[in-house]
Amino acid sequence: MDVDLTDEQVAAAAQQQAKKPTIVPVDDAHPFDLESYISGYTGRTAIDRLIHIVKICPAAATDAFNLAVQHIHQSRDASLYQALMTEYEHLAENPVVKESYQLPNPLEIAQLDTKWVDEISAKNQSDKVKLEVELKTYTNNMIKESIRMAHRDLAEFYRSIGEYQQSLRHHTKSREFCATSQHVLDMCLSVLELLIEQRNYSHLSTYVFKAEAALDATAASAAGNGGASATAPASGAGPSTSGTGPNAKKRAPTEKEIVQSKLDLASALSHLGQGNHEKAAQSFLRIGGARELGDWVGKLVTQSDIAIYGTLCGLASMSRGAIKVQLLDNPAFGLYIEQEPYVRELLEAYINSNFKTALELLSRYSTRHYIDIHLSQHVHGLTSLIKNNAVVLYFQPFASIKLDRMSQAFGWTVDMVEEHIVNLIQSGEIHGRVDSQNKILYAKKTDYRGDLFARTIQAGNDILSANRKVLLRMRLQQADLIVKAPKGHPQSYGMVQDYYGE
Amino acid sequence: MDHLDLDTIIAQITSSPNTRILNDFLKNIQPDTREVILASTLSSGQDPLNILDLRANSLGVLYILSARISVHGAVPPPWQVVDNFCQNFDQNQVRYAPERVILLGKNLSRLAAHYNNQIAAILPLRSLIQRFVPDPSCLTALHPQFLLLCVSSRRFADALPILTHPITSIDSTDMHYTDNLVYHYTGGIALAALKRWSAAEEFFDICVTAPGLVASAIQLEALKKMRLVQLIAKGKTEPLPKYALPNLTRLFKNTPYNTFANAYPSDVGTLRDIVKKDRQVFVTDKNVGLINQAIDRAPRWALKRLIGTYVTLNLTDIARQVKIDSVDHVREMLLNMIESNEISAQISANGTVTFSDPPPTITKTQVDALLRQVQVQSSLLTKLDLDVGKSREFLAKAVKLREDFGGGGGNTAEDFLLGSSMGAVVGGSGGEGGGVWVEEAGFTS
Repeated sequence: MDVDLTDEQVAAAAQQQAKKPTIVPVDDAHPFDLESYISGYTGRTAIDRLIHIVKICPAAATDAFNLAVQHIHQSRDASLYQALMTEYEHLAENPVVKESYQLPNPLEIAQLDTKWVDEISAKNQSDKVKLEVELKTYTNNMIKESIRMAHRDLAEFYRSIGEYQQSLRHHTKSREFCATSQHVLDMCLSVLELLIEQRNYSHLSTYVFKAEAALDATAASAAGNGGASATAPASGAGPSTSGTGPNAKKRAPTEKEIVQSKLDLASALSHLGQGNHEKAAQSFLRIGGARELGDWVGKLVTQSDIAIYGTLCGLASMSRGAIKVQLLDNPAFGLYIEQEPYVRELLEAYINSNFKTALELLSRYSTRHYIDIHLSQHVHGLTSLIKNNAVVLYFQPFASIKLDRMSQAFGWTVDMVEEHIVNLIQSGEIHGRVDSQNKILYAKKTDYRGDLFARTIQAGNDILSANRKVLLRMRLQQADLIVKAPKGHPQSYGMVQDYYGE
Repeated sequence: MDHLDLDTIIAQITSSPNTRILNDFLKNIQPDTREVILASTLSSGQDPLNILDLRANSLGVLYILSARISVHGAVPPPWQVVDNFCQNFDQNQVRYAPERVILLGKNLSRLAAHYNNQIAAILPLRSLIQRFVPDPSCLTALHPQFLLLCVSSRRFADALPILTHPITSIDSTDMHYTDNLVYHYTGGIALAALKRWSAAEEFFDICVTAPGLVASAIQLEALKKMRLVQLIAKGKTEPLPKYALPNLTRLFKNTPYNTFANAYPSDVGTLRDIVKKDRQVFVTDKNVGLINQAIDRAPRWALKRLIGTYVTLNLTDIARQVKIDSVDHVREMLLNMIESNEISAQISANGTVTFSDPPPTITKTQVDALLRQVQVQSSLLTKLDLDVGKSREFLAKAVKLREDFGGGGGNTAEDFLLGSSMGAVVGGSGGEGGGVWVEEAGFTS
């Protein structure tokens, strides 16, 4: 059941992406350095990200292709090459790309080492057989712990060769053989890792929830053992001291903090993936220090990714005060922001109402945003939300303003400003009206006294009529004149004719 | 009373000093013989109606008229006499025999048809109703008859004097639940035809939300018409109150009307497509006229949205935004809306439209009038409350409840019951009645 669902969702997501192939440029106005970007990632996510780049970014496609082939050689999954080729050819066929880019034949850039392919498939096969035999033996011997580990190893193995469904199945099966809540927790974290890699956002929250329950159980049992847990060396490190305080940096993060940070990241990604920007922002901001994420940094995301995700979601969904307190003045999140200096510039420009700069930064780094596998689909929505917020914030103090002044402040044309404002007024975010002849925006003036009178009279009339209706209803019920099912021959009233002139 | 004939009865009628005794006498005659005798002529071959005085002997005339009009094969009474009776009868006498009034009223249109003049029945019937009911807000079994007559002969305006009084009470003589439904349904049709949209909506609403165990076909038809009227008058539909039958909403969802209402007020092309697709349904339901009116008014709602957004706008821009092809049409529509006070705007010579948004002006007289209405209703509700308080059913329940609680509750039980039974009735009355009910809801202990 779970597996089927996952399949469908992946297919749906793939379709959605296929529908609108975005092509992003790399030039002076949109700088992007592939080498430094990809160096932050290891393992499978690096290949996934490179494939994504190949898919949407023709300017970097050649290099990305080359790098991807190198990375594939280090992995155990030869089928990735096929996926890479498909995306590359897909890109090369795109008419827009054909016009402006010269893409070399993929076989000339880099080829897969056939000897390696044979070796790796043989190795995969033998490993698979070996692991399955192990599982069978343990099952026969009915040693619970060993069965669990065998399942876990198989799951890891399947994951490394890219068979997610099998991997998920073995993880789920291993659950039956978990003896302690620590095991459950490990299982949940592995599944979360798997799901994030797979970009299956809707499924994440289930496992976050399960993991949280297991985490509470482990914490309780650890406390029962007098805090003598092997993984929590710092004495007295109860759940009360969160990893964000200055003291916390001096000692190693506790197991609970590590897990909690991972869970925060997972639920943040899940909210982001489902377009729930505000919750995503809150979760991103809860993540503790980078050290607590352990091997997830690099394996799944980088610190700059967290900075970008958190900032964009925050700008799109939070009020100005909240942004200042929770984003700019947040020491834990500040560490992430350090990784991407432009994010701080963006935040400061926004807070100082320097919207032109903020919007320019957004568009300057849009390539960086689009090539991110988790963010890609949401860049457009987030950007327009941020723009809307900016317009609303800008207009707030004015009673009336000329549209060309706004256009200067935002670096847009007057028509763009007008279109934006009209949309915002109609969605109720700006209370104002546009003078489209003289290009002026007026704030709406409300005559509260008159309004109150009008509303009161309206309410009075409504209540009068409601009372009348209810009174009649009561009388009808008293007289038992209620609609009943017809007995035998229903009394039929002829259809009245159409009395309204056409 | 073995050999009863019309002569004796007439003698009784003319001589009896007390109407009540006369009514009892007439009522107690064997029904089948009574009707035949009443419908016959005098032994002298004279028409009894010529002997009796319409006003002094109203009750007797009523019995004879209603018999003559309903008994098969009787000589139909002259129209002049019927008409005259309806305008002049003595209300006090006639109220002793409500069932005879209903009988007369229900057959009036048949009589008119007999004289080949259906429409002639409208005015006598109306004055019969108006003079018969103890107060104009009372519904009788004659109301639906009258409305059906008005609507089927397209004399909508004639129904207005009746329709302007909202119904709050019932005279349940010979009433069937369909009478209430038909009255409010046909009343809604008449009001809609007269383009009194809000009143029409209220009538349809009463029909739709009539109490019931199952949904009636009339209610579904009323709901369809109500939705269209709402679209015409407000540009959008409103949810039904909670006490409406859920089944009705479900039935409505399966009709093309639902699609139409959901698409409203998108551009005219889409709406026309919907209508085209299910034209047969709308034609069968005889709602094409309302549908067309709704479609014609669709651009107005789009325009109203623009007014909330713009202070000035060019005519061509408006035409583009509300999807009307020609600027002249837009100008015409704008002028029309300005004239009917729907919007306030100015069109300058170069085609620029300036919308203004005058604050709502409310005069003292308006407020006073509303307050008076509210006071009247409040006192009505208070009286009703007292009536319920002293009614047999209520007291029986209250006593039972007190016994159940072992007398511990004292006044509280009674008050609680009062609060709960009345609270339902005045549920929405927060404004004017609220204070009274809260106090009486029994938080006294």
